[in-house]
Amino acid sequence: MVSIMGFVACLATMALHFIISKPKADDLFGKDRSMRILDPLRWPILFLTLLFVEQKWNLVGALRKLVFLLALLCFAVLVVTGFVPPLILGKAISGWWLVIHATFSPVFAACVAILAVMWADNSRLDKNYWPWLNRVLRRLPQSNTLVEKYELGRKICFWLILFLALPVILSAVLSMFTLFGTYGQELLLGLHRYSTLSLALFSMAWLYLSVMTEMQKNAAG
Amino acid sequence: MSQATVVWLCMPFFFGLPGAFADEKLGDVSDGGRSVSVHVMPLLTEGESDGEGEQIYPDDEPLLPFSTRQTCGECHSYATIRRGWHFNDVEPNVAAGRAGHPWILSEPGAATQIALSYRRWPGTFDPKRLGMTPAAFVRLFGRQMPGGGPGEMVERSDEPEEVLRGYVTGPLEINCLACHDAHYGYDQSEFAVQIARQNFRWAATAASEFASVTGSTAKVPSMFDFRISEVFDDPKIRPPAVTYRKNAFDEKSNVVFDIEREVPNQRCYFCHSSIDAVEEQPEKWQVDEDIHISAGLKCVDCHRNGLDHNITRGYEYECEVSDNPLAASSSCEGCHLGDGSAAPVAGRFAAPVPEHPGIPPVHFEKLTCTACHSGPRPGQNAIRTKTAMAHAMGTLGSNKSVDMLPHIVYPVFAKNTEGKIGPHKLIWPAFWGEMKGSTVEPIDFDIVSSVTAQVINRQDVPRSGDWPKLTDEQITKGLSRFASQVADGCQAVYVTGGRVYKLEDGKLTSAEHESAGAYLWPIAHNVRPAAQSLGVRRCEDCHSTDSPFFFGLVPVDTPVVSAGGTAKEMIDFQGLSRPLKWFFAFSFVFRPWLKVVVLLSSLVILGVVVLYALRALGFIAGVFVGKD
Repeated sequence: MVSIMGFVACLATMALHFIISKPKADDLFGKDRSMRILDPLRWPILFLTLLFVEQKWNLVGALRKLVFLLALLCFAVLVVTGFVPPLILGKAISGWWLVIHATFSPVFAACVAILAVMWADNSRLDKNYWPWLNRVLRRLPQSNTLVEKYELGRKICFWLILFLALPVILSAVLSMFTLFGTYGQELLLGLHRYSTLSLALFSMAWLYLSVMTEMQKNAAG
Repeated sequence: MSQATVVWLCMPFFFGLPGAFADEKLGDVSDGGRSVSVHVMPLLTEGESDGEGEQIYPDDEPLLPFSTRQTCGECHSYATIRRGWHFNDVEPNVAAGRAGHPWILSEPGAATQIALSYRRWPGTFDPKRLGMTPAAFVRLFGRQMPGGGPGEMVERSDEPEEVLRGYVTGPLEINCLACHDAHYGYDQSEFAVQIARQNFRWAATAASEFASVTGSTAKVPSMFDFRISEVFDDPKIRPPAVTYRKNAFDEKSNVVFDIEREVPNQRCYFCHSSIDAVEEQPEKWQVDEDIHISAGLKCVDCHRNGLDHNITRGYEYECEVSDNPLAASSSCEGCHLGDGSAAPVAGRFAAPVPEHPGIPPVHFEKLTCTACHSGPRPGQNAIRTKTAMAHAMGTLGSNKSVDMLPHIVYPVFAKNTEGKIGPHKLIWPAFWGEMKGSTVEPIDFDIVSSVTAQVINRQDVPRSGDWPKLTDEQITKGLSRFASQVADGCQAVYVTGGRVYKLEDGKLTSAEHESAGAYLWPIAHNVRPAAQSLGVRRCEDCHSTDSPFFFGLVPVDTPVVSAGGTAKEMIDFQGLSRPLKWFFAFSFVFRPWLKVVVLLSSLVILGVVVLYALRALGFIAGVFVGKD
């Protein structure tokens, strides 16, 4: 129930936010575009396109994109295999669901670790955000720079994802050792369940904010 | 208070307690004393026309056998006791409960082994469906019965001759001594001898430590009256005669029974023993007992009952069908984990609360406790076992061959009715039957015996009690002969090895059939020590591509030569997908790599988080000290 409410709330918030603060179509797709009737299709295509992060033309850039895409795939598979059985089928994860879940999880863990190393520096909350913090603390006048807000949100989500990845991964792997009895195992399972839910929600938020950041940048020209 | 009221209130004390206590007998309710009640008492004979019995004196002529119904029933309500689990199988209104060890009619000469039970356990047949009367049933299986149940139905039959014979043999009353007599001289195998001699009425007396019985009712005429001393002209007819030991009676003609309320294990073992039937059979001294017994418990510590003898069987969901108040707390879970009731009940008999380190909780949803803890550790092939009830163990002249029928196989890890996998014993039914539509009913066993005698040469039946080698020609011949014996619209079939054999246009065909499926019943004992349980060393005990738990072979037992040597996998009895279980097991090869990758990944993530957290802290600290 918590999971369903979490997913619904997250998706609804993002949808509402998108409707309220989406850039103008003219800014994104150009004022003199033909066949405006296709605009409803342009939005999701743009959204998907922006999901694939910018690739720099070097080995690290290619690797970064590859790892990100792999992580994205694993994330999707893990969310489906982890949440569909209990939320939709009403049964504990087992059988092929479990096999697929367990197969993709180490890949996801490795991808997150690699991305952590690669993106950590770009995701620093450095002194550039000091003015923003001052504005939040009402020590400076308010600004409406959306890109800045999205980037900050994205970076906070990034660190929360990394932070939550630890209990998600450790709760799964530690249960494979003979360290915890039944009570401990159930505790680990609960920890895995709720930290995974949080991780999934923050990952969705991170993806949304990344897309919105890029969208705003594109709209700004 | 008026004088009249006082008189009425005091009346019970002057005239005895009326009403509610009228039917209560001396031994029905304990006064709370924990000391042993000494049983010095008169022996009473069977009552005439269900009347009261008369006391037996050492100088009676003839000496009669004592009746447990009368002797024990003097102080304990026999009618209440007979409702107990061991005696109520013939009662139609009693819940069948979890499938248990059936009685197995096995006759190598008829190529038959078939599970029988008066309870409605799916896969067993009511003896009546094989034309077996209660008397015939008792003659076959009474050796290991505690009396009562069908034993008290021998005088109730549709056939007058059976009724008359019932008066001669007597009923097989509940033999209280079979369980409660702790005297070293009590001999249950003598009880079995008396059953074989059709001396049902005399069986308990003969087994007791202070009497012996000679003779047999098998050949005495149906008008025989056991209360009259009768000598027959034919020297081969020797009616039963009782001799009581000289010192059995005291000066008041009472006898002493060595009665234990808490039944000694040895008494249970007479009917509830089993042994692995393998070529290199281990000796008794090489085999450990159940861990609970080794820890000092008795069978009846867990399997308990009150006066109603509604003993707890000890399985997980028993409390749903049993009104025994201890049913919930007498299962493995109840004793070791508690039954979830408000007041804690776990830990009785110092039962340790298991920790199960490293075992994911999903195992407790999918497996019974016994799956990992009971029976022998599974090998690549399920093995044969012999049980006391099926193989007459402990009786005089019992066949010690490992090949003796019935062929019971274990441990078979199968899904039970509650959807959990646990170890079972299994037999493949083999019987001659008649098929109507998709249902198969066994043919009357007297007919089967006479027909198969013409088909299977007695010399071809091994002395070991094993199957004869049954050829397709013999089955064809048998089915041809049975064709005239079956009811209209039915077809004669032979069921064995999970298949139904029948004649189609004179040709023998066979196919797997639901009615030919194996009968399985769960096992709980012997419980192994925790250190020997499955999974205690590593997950691969079960999760490997050749683990006996999923992929062990269960031999398909059949006398048919052309179908011999086949086997099924355990997973066939588990309702699981073989490719899935194989792949899942295969993935355990990579489990150590997975652990390494995941642990390294989390170390890297932790490193990044800690590193940047420290840098952030440094930055914030710098701001606060005015560096930036």
